[in-house]
Formats: sequence, structure tokens, C-alpha cells
Amino acid sequence: MAQSIIKSILRILFLILLQSLVVNKVQLLDGLILPWIYIFGLLMLPFETPRWLVLMVGFTVGFIMDYFTGPMGLHTTACVILAYLQPIIQNLLAPREGYEITQRPTIQKMNLTWYLTYAGLLTVAHHSVLFFLEVLRFNDFFYQVLHIVLSSLATLLLMAIGQYLIFTSKSSES
Amino acid sequence: MRNILALIQRFYVTLLFFGLLGLGLAMLFGSNNYQRSAFVRHSTDLVGEIYSRRDHLSQYLRLGEINDQLALENARLRSRLPSNFLITDTSTYDVADSLHRQRYIFRTGRVINATVTRDMNYLTLDRGEMQGVKKDMGVIAGGAIVGIVTSTSNNFSVVMPVIHSSFQTPVRLNGFYGQLTWRGGDPELARVDDIPKHARIQVGDTITTTGYSFAFPAGELVGFVTDIDDESKESFHVVTIRLATDFRKLNYVEIVSDLFREEIESIQKAQEQADGAIDH
Repeated sequence: MAQSIIKSILRILFLILLQSLVVNKVQLLDGLILPWIYIFGLLMLPFETPRWLVLMVGFTVGFIMDYFTGPMGLHTTACVILAYLQPIIQNLLAPREGYEITQRPTIQKMNLTWYLTYAGLLTVAHHSVLFFLEVLRFNDFFYQVLHIVLSSLATLLLMAIGQYLIFTSKSSES
Repeated sequence: MRNILALIQRFYVTLLFFGLLGLGLAMLFGSNNYQRSAFVRHSTDLVGEIYSRRDHLSQYLRLGEINDQLALENARLRSRLPSNFLITDTSTYDVADSLHRQRYIFRTGRVINATVTRDMNYLTLDRGEMQGVKKDMGVIAGGAIVGIVTSTSNNFSVVMPVIHSSFQTPVRLNGFYGQLTWRGGDPELARVDDIPKHARIQVGDTITTTGYSFAFPAGELVGFVTDIDDESKESFHVVTIRLATDFRKLNYVEIVSDLFREEIESIQKAQEQADGAIDH
């Protein structure tokens, strides 16, 4: 348990640094594709994490991201919404018997379809809030939608690749 | 009372959600630009340190390009050496020291972090109060304007570049004054408003600074006209310009300080107060 908490915290910090120091420097197609992979740390929280804790972690992660990248409140808002939706989506997608104690929200512990639905819905929700809050106008509506779709796909792809690289089927304990 | 407690117990997750959401939105919308940059200011010393370390690493990858830029800059400066000029008018040349007082000083700085893809972009420089950088100083690079310092910490400063949706500065186009703004999107294109329709302008004309703001000396390069739209019924041109600064490749910049700023501001303020006194 304690080990799982420490791992979660380290993973979240590592992803925030990776996001702000490396990924933000990569601007594909003039910034049309902008993956926000730091939310991977939130999506990986174990199923049994209490909802209030998910919300607090979401708030903190968003706050740290804001601290690194610009107008305060932007990532905070998007992450709080993500953290609110996450358990709801998990419940919607739960197998009939509920989740087992050993299961984690990863491709290896669940399966690819489950993961893409789960992460896909949450990624699109998070990115939509983020991009619309930042721009706050709808005149480039189709550009925005394209921006959200392409960025979400990039985030999903990176998170899936990350899982295949980091966790072999044996070592995915946390 | 028990009912209220029971209610809170039942919906505490939703309440917590709305509380945190409200906090986030308040941070985003409740703060005006100044407070927002004050947040940035708190973050510059810590985050600036991290960013400058990253910059040290990634700089090696761009050494070739930086060399080219510096060589070009050297060549341009060397071509300005007095020994390269024929002295045609000795009277001004000889008395230059006593007739001219220096108005602007330029300090060098390096961009250690920058965004270009957002609507509200910022640059972070590795110079701060200890190096003499103050709020509202102008920043230029290679003779073209970059932005204005919005906040400083001891060793770092944050710049609002031209490509920030709140940026504004007066500019001059063929002798007429206009306002330079940027409305998001392409970091190479900006807009100049308030140029009257009777002004004759052409694609390719040069836009420079006016020297009316304290941030930039007069005549610094801003950009070139790429498109003129006269469709609207208003009596002003809508001019699209290509900015002379490439914000994606910005590296070394100069920070401009105006030595007469306080003096000029104080007489302007005195005049405004005198006029205000007559009004009342």
C-alpha cells in the first residue's frame, strides 16, 4: 500500500517534469498537436482510491502544471473536472462483478479496448476543457475541434506506448 | 441541523468538486493581467532555475545556429565601426560627446523559456532585478521588437511578447500612427489598427516603433505589411503585418532601459495633475 502511494507520487512528479521540460518543447504542425501526457499520472490512480483523494490529487497536479506553464487556474480547472469524471467513467465501464483488488487501470491488467475507452473519454474531456478555456472564443471552432482530436490522439498514443515500454506483464504491480 | 450534516455527508464529493472547480476558475478569471504575472513572478525563481538548467542542456544542440546568428550580428556591428565611415561632417562628429546625452542603454539577456502556440504567450529571460532589469522595460532582438518586461525576480524576468493577446504598442507606418495588436493564431502575423484610410500604404511597407512609449527607442523594426483590408466601412485600414522577429527561434535579446523615463513621466504627470485641477 505504502509502496503503491510512493510509486504514484513519483510517477506523477516525473510526468509533470517530462511534460514541462520535454513534451512542451515539441510542437508538431505549428502547435496543432499538443499532447498533455502528464494526465497519465492521474489516470493510473488505483481503482480503490477514495473520490475526495482523486479530486485533491487532481487539483494539486493541475496547480503544479500551472505553476510551470503560465496563466494560473487553467490546468487546475481541467484536472479537477478530469478527477471528478474519472471514478464515474470507471463505474460505467466496470465489469459486472466490479473490479478485483489486483486490477489496475492499465492495458495489461484490463485490456486494450477497455483502456482506450476509459483513457479516450477522459483525455478528450480534459483536452476540451483546457483548449476552450485557454482560447475562450468559438470563432475558430473547427480548428479547435481538430486541435482537440489530434492532441487527444497523440496523448493516447503516447500513454499506450508508455505502458508497453514501462510495464512488462509481470512487473505491473502498482 | 442533523439533516444538513447528513446532506453534507452524502454529497461531500460533489461539494468538494464544485469548491475546487470554483477555486480554479477564480484563479483563471478573477485575476487581472497584473496579478497573473505576479503569480508568474513567484514562480520565476524556482521554475526559472529549472528551466535555465534545461536550457543549458538543450543549447548544445543549437550551437551551430547560434554561431551563425552571432557571426551575423558581429558582421553587422563591425560594419558600424567609426573607422568604416568617411567623416563628411566634422562639426557634428567632433562635438558628439558634449552635444549628445545617452538616452537608452541596452543589456543583453538570453531567452530560457518561451511559448509560441498559446494565445497568452510568455518568455522568460535569465536577467532580473540584480542585473538592472525592471518592469515595463522593452525587449528587442537584432533591431526588431520582442516584447515588454511584465515581472521580475532577483535573477529572472518574464516578458509579454508581441504575440500575447493583451500586448499593445504604438507604431508608425509611413508617418501615420497606429496600434499594434496580436489576436492569436499564427505567431508570424499581427495587426495594425487606427491607420486612417487616407494614408497611402502598400504591401511591403515597413512598420517601426514611434518612441512614444518608454519601452522602445524610435525607429526599431516591427514588421512589414502583407495585407491591407479596406472592406469595412470604418475610416481606418485593417493592416496585417509579418513580424520581423521569429519568436520560434528567439535566443539572445537586448533589454532596453530609458534613462530619461522618470524625468519625462514626472513632467507628464505634473501636467495631467494641473489639467485635472482646472477641471474640478
